[in-house]
Amino acid sequence: MATELTVQELWQPFEPGVDGQWDLAAAAHLFRRAGFGADRRQLEAAVQKTPLQVIDELLDGQEPPEYRSEMQTLATAAISGGNVEPLSAWWVYRILSTPVQLLEKTVLFWHGHFATGADKVTEPQLMLNQNQLLRRLAFGDFHELVQQIAKDPAMLLYLDSASNRKAHPNENFARELMELFCLGEGQYTERDIRELARCFTGWEVRRGEYRFNRFQHDTGSRSFLGATGVLSGEEAVQVVLRQPQTAEFIVSKLLRYFMLDEPAGQAELLAPLAQQFRDDGLQIRPLLRTMLGSRLFFSRQCVGRKLKSPVELALGLLRCLEGSTNAVELAKAMQQLGQGLLYPPSVKGWDGGRTWINSSTLLGRSNLMRRLITSETTRFGRLSLRDYLSARGLQRPEDMLSELQLLLFAVPIPEAASRSIIALMKSGSDTAVAEGLHALCTLPEFQLC
Amino acid sequence: MRLDRRGFLQHLATGSAVLSFGGVVPLPLLVSAERTVAERILVVIELQGGNDGLNTVIPVTDPLYRRRRPTLAIPQSEVLSIADGMGFHPALRGFADLLEAGQLAVVQQVGYPQPNRSHFESMDIWHTCLRKDQQRPDGWLGRWTERVQGAGGDATALHLGPDKLPFALMSRSVRVPSVRSLEEFRLRGAEDEKFREAVQSLAETRRDEPDDLLNFVASSTASALTASERLATAAKAAATDVVWPQSGLAERLRTVSQLIRSGLQTSVYYVTLGGFDTHAQQPDAHRGLLRQLSEAVQALLSELRSSGDLQRTTVMAFSEFGRRVEENASEGTDHGTAGPMFLAGGSVRAGLHGQRPDLADLQDGDLQFSTDFREVYATILERWLKVDSVDILHQRFSALDLFTA
Repeated sequence: MATELTVQELWQPFEPGVDGQWDLAAAAHLFRRAGFGADRRQLEAAVQKTPLQVIDELLDGQEPPEYRSEMQTLATAAISGGNVEPLSAWWVYRILSTPVQLLEKTVLFWHGHFATGADKVTEPQLMLNQNQLLRRLAFGDFHELVQQIAKDPAMLLYLDSASNRKAHPNENFARELMELFCLGEGQYTERDIRELARCFTGWEVRRGEYRFNRFQHDTGSRSFLGATGVLSGEEAVQVVLRQPQTAEFIVSKLLRYFMLDEPAGQAELLAPLAQQFRDDGLQIRPLLRTMLGSRLFFSRQCVGRKLKSPVELALGLLRCLEGSTNAVELAKAMQQLGQGLLYPPSVKGWDGGRTWINSSTLLGRSNLMRRLITSETTRFGRLSLRDYLSARGLQRPEDMLSELQLLLFAVPIPEAASRSIIALMKSGSDTAVAEGLHALCTLPEFQLC
Repeated sequence: MRLDRRGFLQHLATGSAVLSFGGVVPLPLLVSAERTVAERILVVIELQGGNDGLNTVIPVTDPLYRRRRPTLAIPQSEVLSIADGMGFHPALRGFADLLEAGQLAVVQQVGYPQPNRSHFESMDIWHTCLRKDQQRPDGWLGRWTERVQGAGGDATALHLGPDKLPFALMSRSVRVPSVRSLEEFRLRGAEDEKFREAVQSLAETRRDEPDDLLNFVASSTASALTASERLATAAKAAATDVVWPQSGLAERLRTVSQLIRSGLQTSVYYVTLGGFDTHAQQPDAHRGLLRQLSEAVQALLSELRSSGDLQRTTVMAFSEFGRRVEENASEGTDHGTAGPMFLAGGSVRAGLHGQRPDLADLQDGDLQFSTDFREVYATILERWLKVDSVDILHQRFSALDLFTA
């Protein structure tokens, strides 16, 4: 059905009953993408509303003040030891517990986009400040986000701008500002990089804060991307953001993050959305609203067309089954699977898609699922997995399986798999149910979301 | 019923498994009755971030070198002299010894036309031999794996390390295993037969819909389960008295050595070493990295010499670009172009190859390449791995005289 629609129509709002059902499975899809996953109660509440109402709640939801202050207290404790690893676990805990899932999902997007790694920026306070900055501006104005990131001490240190002097400007930040943050590779010349770098000379970090050192600032005229003059760093950022490719570049990354890994006919598909983004003055919130509420989003072109990141894999399992676990261990385990929060592999962030998957990560994913499911510290609604399921009236293996499929799977599993898993769970013991769920989580289908 | 390894592999190769991947056969499925040792081995070391070639293989007598690098130039007294006014960074003591022993070849000024100075794009060019405006579904070694038959059920190529599978090893039809560490390369719960059999057969179950992503995951899962079975039995080579340095690269090369010595039939091993993007405070960082590289390669070759595997092993090290000739104000260097490649082993033609860097003939402040990296690849494919290189590199490149055997 969706394939017969024009590109313009694909971006129109999804109409339940016309474009497809708005049922528990559709709501589960929405929560997996616009967050990390929802339990049955949340799904049942969602289908009582319209999809757009749910999306607006996801976009406008506010964390209760007591939750915010609890997170602040935990963050302060996490950074008190002087290293960043506890902060990584803090973020895992935050993603697991937040009532505002889409915000954390979007912060994770920006963290991968403006990737800054704690392997180089070892001061936890600076990593926390950047994380809070991304949270503050996640749905806001992209101009403001880039302006603030350009002066963010963690970023300045990560890309060596903190030692950027006028005699020999350091090109690292100028290059990545265009290549990775705003325009995409090939949308500028090497000369543009060299000239742009001059605008950021004298931008320093002193005692953990941004400082402008006018003695190290190059005051000569520079010329890049069609602009000429004694442009300040702030003006230079605006020049970069004025380039029309900015909208295409950001929209294309958001499309792959929230909707589908391997879009076909990408340029054509993006054009209407990029136009909207430009017309809205690069505001993020309306862009996400259009994407998540679109016919395309709920179509077969999107459902199940993404490979789960380690965070989506592990925290998804827990969020769908009201799970809780040891966040410190989980943060480490996800780092081993290629997604250490606050430890992106490079300034390019995570490539996502097929690059998440190789033989080591597949074995590692399966092993992590087993550890999570069988660990003493993991609780599902404060119960063991079997007790959690039976408290919901699910005692027969067949019923457990169909519930787990609804909550955890974007695509159906083969008939043979259902039979094997029911056989594994047959005795109904805690161990048998755990084995069954582990086998389910080792299925290729479980890697899709 | 519990199958032994061979039975297990045969079961995979003869059963419905092969049919169920829509033409994608997991790498280790090809079973041969006899174990023949992979004749020749290539160990690739990717130096990530852009190694500063000028401070690695140094034009020590060139006055322009010191003029362009007022703070970063390595003092002449510290440089390990090679020949023709060239010398090694002092941290490359191990490389100097290998050169002396006839086990190291340096190809100078390697690059490619219209150099790209983005890490990611330039690395992709090195990995695929294609530019951004061309279709790039696979890498050069991935294309090579499609053209050779694995022996003994082992993967023809393996990636070792914590990072994602390198683009160079990606193929449209073969899934190259990636091994983070041998200890972790096991499926938990597999001790339980019932569970293991269920998982294995579920990964191989035919998927009705030809969904690309799903088939990719299914064939990767089957390949992972098979490779983990095989490596568990392979990783038992005897310890030697070689003293390995303590470093991430050494750890990975030590695993490579173990696998080679245990008779695994794999021909290509791929490891990476990151951190070469020295925009600021370069001297200490670069020294540490070069030492790590040189010591780890030296240990590897020394262990392979004692096991008699040195002649059939070649190590190749490369980076996505060199760095700007002129230093910046942060005691660092920005992205540049051409740089040296290293080949090490018992069969390389030792010494300096290619033209030395010409600091008087720069383009946009950067060195000009004199050897195309695809000529080095062509040499490795044709003269070392003994396959035709044209299909793999998409173009004919002349092989260089880099091997003695």
